[in-house]
Amino acid sequence: MRILLAILVALVFWRGHAQQASTNNTAARFHAVDIYVDSENHPLAAYQIEFAVTNGSARIVGVEGGEHPAFAEPPFYDPQAMQHERVILAAFSTEAADKLPAGKTRVATIHVQTSGAVKAEFTVKLHTAAGLDGKKFQAEAALEERKAP
Amino acid sequence: MNNNRNSPRLFRLQRNKPKSVALLVAASLGNVLVTVALISGCAKKSASLTPLPSASYYGGSSQPVLEAAPRGAPELMARQRMSRQAVRPISAPAGAEELWVIARSSDLAQAKRDDAPGSGALLMRFAEKEVSLPLKHTDVRASVSGYVGSVEVVQQFHNPYSSKIEAVYVFPLPHNAAVNEFIMTIDERRIRGIIRERKEAEEIYQEAKRQGYVASLLTEERPNIFTQSVANIEPGREIDVTIKYFHTLDYADGWYEFVFPMVVGPRFNPPGMTHGIGAAARGSAGVSGQKTEVQYLKPGERSGHDISLRLEVDAGVAIEEFQCRTHEVSHESQASHQLTVALQPHDNIPNRDFVLRYRVAGERIKSSLLTHRDERGGYFTLMLYPPKELGKLARQPLEVVFVLDCSGSMSGRPIAQAKAAVERGLRLMRPEDSFQIINFSLSARQLGPAPLAATPENIQRALQYLSSLEGEGGTMMIEGIKAALDFPHDPNRLRFVCFLTDGYIGNEAEILGEIHQRLGPSRIFSFGIGSTVNRYLIDHMGKAGRGAVAYLGSRDEAARVMEDFFERISHPGLTDIAVDWGGMLVSEVFPRRIPDLFVGRPVILTGRFSGEGNSHVRVSGKVAGERVEFTVPADSSDGSATHRALPSVWARMKIADLADESTFAPNAELPEQIKRVALDFGVMSAFTAFVAVDSSRRTEGSEGTTVPVAVPVPEGVKYHTTVPEKSEN
Repeated sequence: MRILLAILVALVFWRGHAQQASTNNTAARFHAVDIYVDSENHPLAAYQIEFAVTNGSARIVGVEGGEHPAFAEPPFYDPQAMQHERVILAAFSTEAADKLPAGKTRVATIHVQTSGAVKAEFTVKLHTAAGLDGKKFQAEAALEERKAP
Repeated sequence: MNNNRNSPRLFRLQRNKPKSVALLVAASLGNVLVTVALISGCAKKSASLTPLPSASYYGGSSQPVLEAAPRGAPELMARQRMSRQAVRPISAPAGAEELWVIARSSDLAQAKRDDAPGSGALLMRFAEKEVSLPLKHTDVRASVSGYVGSVEVVQQFHNPYSSKIEAVYVFPLPHNAAVNEFIMTIDERRIRGIIRERKEAEEIYQEAKRQGYVASLLTEERPNIFTQSVANIEPGREIDVTIKYFHTLDYADGWYEFVFPMVVGPRFNPPGMTHGIGAAARGSAGVSGQKTEVQYLKPGERSGHDISLRLEVDAGVAIEEFQCRTHEVSHESQASHQLTVALQPHDNIPNRDFVLRYRVAGERIKSSLLTHRDERGGYFTLMLYPPKELGKLARQPLEVVFVLDCSGSMSGRPIAQAKAAVERGLRLMRPEDSFQIINFSLSARQLGPAPLAATPENIQRALQYLSSLEGEGGTMMIEGIKAALDFPHDPNRLRFVCFLTDGYIGNEAEILGEIHQRLGPSRIFSFGIGSTVNRYLIDHMGKAGRGAVAYLGSRDEAARVMEDFFERISHPGLTDIAVDWGGMLVSEVFPRRIPDLFVGRPVILTGRFSGEGNSHVRVSGKVAGERVEFTVPADSSDGSATHRALPSVWARMKIADLADESTFAPNAELPEQIKRVALDFGVMSAFTAFVAVDSSRRTEGSEGTTVPVAVPVPEGVKYHTTVPEKSEN
């Protein structure tokens, strides 16, 4: 009888653990994904990037401004693209060149809710980057997912 | 708990930590039935009251204390104080006050929250008149260019308590506001909210709240009533929410009118209704039994919430005069066509609509066409102003039915204003006219069974009847609608039904549906009475009734408003209006049926177009059987900044049109159509919502207690006749 009871208790704990693990895999989680633009030596006055969810289940739940004062305002997004969990962000600044960021700068942070067992993956693509004179220049966009708080 | 009631101290809410863990195992060897119940804190989270020592907060002598404020909070608050010079400090309660905090379990609060925004779990009671609530200040910055207004509203929430809270605030905006921006600010970080299907946004918000993330949610309960929820505000922290919207201004009798509503009036909901807008006394969450509930401060109470407002007008033509009868304002003018007004700092209690009227140079007023193009196509608004010829033509005999709302919310100044207006109307009638008076509260009554000739004897009789009317009881407006529109009609007279009401009801859709069904040959002119009227209902009654609206504030002259109305109906309207759009290929023009044009009242049409946008538009219609025609030039002065609002304004018009349709021709596809427009254009609707989550940081502990933001009863409205303290059902 004792052995039977021990097996039963073990079974109960195993089921509970399995259920919890399953719940953790599918439960909603929140992440912050930082978006960077590296303009090298050019003062960055305007940019347009596209952020997308490429794998897993994710919903964008907020768009935050960047670290540099010139891009601290949260960028505007295209509402139609947002419905497909893509976000096309664009921002510009009319500050003088010495008040614009150059090199690698965080221009935005995307707040995302993910769920499901499959890990969500994200991409970012730079559509354009331009200086104060409106001329486009070569730049690179990158993203970094912050560790969950 | 009651032992502390007379203690002159503050109390703080302290949650008991979950302690009990129980494991129940039931096993059946036959079918391996295993039941496990883990009760870990979720079963019951009771709260207790712990006295706090008195301490200063925001410079006050004894505001609720932040005993558990995070490290660095005082410095943070000091920094925030410095960076917010415009924010007035909360006036502190007297030192000998007491605060009662009574909390329900958060699970109960959560369960109710799903059904009832504002179902609070925290009730505070000060022995004296000051109560501190989580909404500290509202800052309004508005600009008007032409007849399009752009408004930014910043709601500054804070947590004056010692534990984490969720703030819930039910507030008004203009019913034609195209809300298209939502930003949550935490310290210096600004997070733009995302518009999503309402259910999805609510799920995201609830999940973020549950997990301890700071989040905010904006939902629409009525076209002019919204709910702002902000989750996980930690003690001592401040969170701002910025809402931006565009809207078109009303224009009547030579005056443009900018309105910013400040408080939702207490609504009456018919028996059995649960999806209305309920009224409840502060701390009496749930008594209204309605899905959305507004809590009201009791007479003499005052919260720390105040408001500042600044409006810049660029009329494009000279502004000849302006008036603001609702508030004390300062003003300046940089040029003849510009005007800046600001609310005086001492007139900062948000208990009535802010209304600014300004008159532009009369001869320059004319119909105008504004256009805008972007990647989505072309958009326009056409303001049709009645041709001068209308003012020269005399009117036909009239049949006027005055319908007075005599419910409890009209008690006092509002009913006095309404009676004064009707009295003036009676005296303006001519012998060839006829009239009737209908009054309603819980049921409808009337002066007589049929229209009365406007003889001196009948007018005298009507005045006596009028003087006997008082405001009391509920607002069964449906009875007034039926009585007025089913009333026998004299086909030889033009029939006008004048509704005089504050519109404080929760069943607007039912009322508008009845008007559509019963209108017949009548034209409805609705008069909004009071300091903070339900303008959504009043405007849509006029629109559905093919008439017009007027507003009679508590500080307006009743007789003049009625005189303006009689001036308007003393000339025939321009009917059967048709528009030749020239080179513009137009589509989806709203309102779909062009209303009649009356003297002094323009009509605004909003639509999409392709093709030539700079052409002249020709408008024709009938006046007293004669065909007239006039031309409207396109406004090529443009100003892309101004006209950039047009897509949002158009989207809001389309949503309003679809919502109207759902009141008289319900269709299962309408919600989906509304949602599609709202998501494509990023504007609010009843089926979409803005949500913002700060996922960079989790607050500690479980989700906070829900605290509804109680608001003052509108100026002129009697608390005791409108706010139930016990359950209505």
